[in-house]
Amino acid sequence: MKFSISREALLRPLTLVAGVVERRQTLPVLSNVLIEANGQQLSLTGTDLEVELVGRVELANVDQPGAATVPARKLMDICKSLPDQSEITFIVEDGRAILRAGRSRFTLSTLPAAEFPNIDEGQGETELTLPRGTLKHLIDATSFAMAQQDVRYYLNGMLIEMRNHLVRTVATDGHRLAVCSRSADIALDNPHKLILPRKGVLELVRLLDDSDEPVTLILGSNHLRARTGAFTFTSKLIDGKFPDYERVVPKGGDKHFTAERSELRQVLSRTAILSNEKYRGVRLNLEEGNLRVLANNPEQEEAEENVAIDYSGGGLEIGFNVGYLVDVLNVLNVEQVQMTLSDANSSALLEEPGGGDAMYVVMPMRL
Amino acid sequence: MDEMRRIQVLSPRLANQIAAGEVVERPASVIKELVENAIDAGSRRIEIELEAGGAKLIRVRDDGSGIAGDDLPLALARHATSKIGTLDDLEGVASLGFRGEALAAVSSVSRLELFSNTEDEPSAGWRVVAEGREMASRISPAPHPRGTTVTVRDLFFNTPARRKFLRTEKTELNHIEEGFRRLALSRFDISWVLRHNQKVVHQLRAGEERVAREQRLAKLLGQSFLSNALHIDMSATGLRLWGWVGLPTHTRAQADQQYFFVNGRVIRDKLVAHAVRQAYRDVLFHGRHPVFVLYLELDPLVVDVNVHPTKHEVRFRDARLVHDFLFSSLHKALAEVRPNNARDSEGERDISTQEASSQTSSQPSWQQQPMALREGSSSDSGSSAFGYGRRDSGGERPAADRVHEFMAGYRALHPDHESALLNPQEAHDQRVSTPDQEAPVMTSGGVPLPDQVPGEAPPLGYAIAQLHGVYILSQTTRGMVIVDMHAAHERITYERMKQQVHQGRLDAQPLLVPVSLAVSEAEVERAERERDAFAQLGVELDVAGPETLLVRQLPALLARADVEPLIRDMLADLERYGQSDRVTAHINEILSTMACHGSVRANRKLTIMEMNALLRDMERTERSGQCNHGRPTWIELSMNDLDKLFLRGQ
Repeated sequence: MKFSISREALLRPLTLVAGVVERRQTLPVLSNVLIEANGQQLSLTGTDLEVELVGRVELANVDQPGAATVPARKLMDICKSLPDQSEITFIVEDGRAILRAGRSRFTLSTLPAAEFPNIDEGQGETELTLPRGTLKHLIDATSFAMAQQDVRYYLNGMLIEMRNHLVRTVATDGHRLAVCSRSADIALDNPHKLILPRKGVLELVRLLDDSDEPVTLILGSNHLRARTGAFTFTSKLIDGKFPDYERVVPKGGDKHFTAERSELRQVLSRTAILSNEKYRGVRLNLEEGNLRVLANNPEQEEAEENVAIDYSGGGLEIGFNVGYLVDVLNVLNVEQVQMTLSDANSSALLEEPGGGDAMYVVMPMRL
Repeated sequence: MDEMRRIQVLSPRLANQIAAGEVVERPASVIKELVENAIDAGSRRIEIELEAGGAKLIRVRDDGSGIAGDDLPLALARHATSKIGTLDDLEGVASLGFRGEALAAVSSVSRLELFSNTEDEPSAGWRVVAEGREMASRISPAPHPRGTTVTVRDLFFNTPARRKFLRTEKTELNHIEEGFRRLALSRFDISWVLRHNQKVVHQLRAGEERVAREQRLAKLLGQSFLSNALHIDMSATGLRLWGWVGLPTHTRAQADQQYFFVNGRVIRDKLVAHAVRQAYRDVLFHGRHPVFVLYLELDPLVVDVNVHPTKHEVRFRDARLVHDFLFSSLHKALAEVRPNNARDSEGERDISTQEASSQTSSQPSWQQQPMALREGSSSDSGSSAFGYGRRDSGGERPAADRVHEFMAGYRALHPDHESALLNPQEAHDQRVSTPDQEAPVMTSGGVPLPDQVPGEAPPLGYAIAQLHGVYILSQTTRGMVIVDMHAAHERITYERMKQQVHQGRLDAQPLLVPVSLAVSEAEVERAERERDAFAQLGVELDVAGPETLLVRQLPALLARADVEPLIRDMLADLERYGQSDRVTAHINEILSTMACHGSVRANRKLTIMEMNALLRDMERTERSGQCNHGRPTWIELSMNDLDKLFLRGQ
């Protein structure tokens, strides 16, 4: 195999593909990236057996077609540190990969391309397209709430629900929940629900941008494939039942208030400094027109902040993990935020005043 | 015979030595008598000092009320006591001793010295010894702090026959330690010191809180006892039972570590033993013995302790009531042993961490509330979004149902206690808890109730794989759980069958040809008297002659059982324990065999979903910690345990 490519053309797909590759591997070939040169096209593949990402680049000329795998991270680090606009020549012969650029020469070990695993494609697939910006927004609005290495394995991912003209994402870690829905121009015979694992979510969103360019989703029985122009992303799905999120969204909260989102966020972030580092608890005291935020830590240091809110109703004291509130305020991209509470033991609902496309439920802490 | 023997009055010393034969068997019994006196004197601190296993020296020092100087001559005399005065006192005795013979007996077989002082002024003390055949008391002033010290030297120096029966120092010390354990467990409000040959064997601080009590328990019986025990506390109509019972998986080859206290007095009683055994039935592995430290508190008037000089036996005025109360309390406590409860088996209960954490507890501890996440579709909701309401309202109901059931049966058996036992209001007050955690809601009648804190990962976690077709591996929040799938399923099937069978009336099968039984006259009489009890159990008996009974009807499930021994056993039970559970026991045996055959066997491949369903079933099922034969159904390896295996973090 032999081809030449500019550093810039190689670097973007290589960085994304190498992101999928886990740093430490028990199976050596998984720390490699598969490089295939064919006709006018170069394709790079990285996988961790759960998520697979293929990036493609057009080549002006392939001197000699072929396929090989080389250590992903080393290759990426080399390309990154080469001078801008370098022209890279890549040759594989006798089980060695030789990379030349200018006066530099690197020899990398390879493993046969035949050893490289690929994720099986399932049958009975449904295909649909969405604007990339829509999907990106749906993921960005909810991904922070996904659980991480929870025993309830089905929480370590994101529920993606697709039905006629509607796409919805849901994530929860058992303490807070995020739901976001967007209308979309899709038509499906049956609504689809799938749980994309955490890593798949984080890799997928890296391929997306805010544009209206399409992303094609292919829904398999146990995997999801997403195709943007130059990339094909495939992820296995979590086989499990996602909790019934609709029952968690509180109904009948009678204490509504609205506040300036960025102001509230800053107030909370400041108060958080003196909250208990382990539990991160802050107390919110709801009064007419005013919200008092209190925190103290084991060293008996205290923080108190007051923020003006639009509220008329009874007083309430309620505790929260401040991190959970700040997470929500970070992703809620609106001027004003509305919070609905009922009592100190019931969950809080955060959303755009009047209800936007996203809803956030946060469970309180008991003091 | 050379000369005619004449009747003569025995010398007081000889009379006392005869009494000593009953009471003073070995050094341990001396200590028991002396310490009981110290306890009755209201001491807060008791020190015991020994030399050579107690054969050379026993000294018991207390800070109790002491003995007045004028009473001292009587203290060592037989049949002299300050604890009771009239027969009425004897009937409601609240002190440990009352017979007034212990000191006299001990001093007749040893060199006994007694120092005592009732004043706070040390110089006001007295010393008393008893001497000679007549055991005349000699009193002299001697300084002593408030309280009493009894020194017993050279036990059995004048009764060589007894001395020969003394074992090695180590054996005697073991006996003393065992006695000490009983005494120290009987009174948590007293601090104790036990020294042997100038070395401290036990030093226990006084403390009435649960933590302090459990510390003492751990010191006397070992940490493993504590970490495998359930704390219970139940009361009904003047009876209160509290203490610790070992989990059915934590058993012993011998019947030691069984302590039962009635009003602070340790006893070994057949009735109690039977009630306990019955409660542990079909959760205990064959030939193993449960462990327990239990305290029964009741009105002294309804228990007679004057049965035996060592007072190891008692008679309850209402043996049936006590038996039923013990059985039902323990049975209920053990039934609630489910995976949820075992969660805090280590760490939290470890004494050292408890002490450490108590320092930081002044800081308010935040507790994040979980969401009520449930699997499944949204269609079946309608209740509150968080499900708390349902849990709270339904919480105590099944337990109350069971009490109702029990009461109905009880009333039928004993109409005279109808009003007394377990009215539903009180039934609601009954609670079982493991240390730190309230027992979870239980299920009955097959109604699945939310059996865990909504939103938290289930205690048995989620299945990962099946090992060799026998074991299920499951990942939990704390580590991993290995489940013996057959044993677990067997218990689930068994409990389900039992529930179905015992829910309704027992179906009875009249016999075409009645079976005639040759029994004693007394048994015929008993059968007559207990006709209702038999009918309740589906057995119909007729008297056919003065020594013949006719069995006309049997429970349908036992139609093919061997009738004769069954009826005889039932009659014996009714006599001895006031009730018989033979029929239930037999039926359960049959169900157990059926359950064994109806459960998944080894080498049956299960899918992850099936395995998870089994784990959830286990969490709901009573007694699911053991299979019907008492084998454990699951074990847990926490991350800590696993880390230790791999020397991580060391």
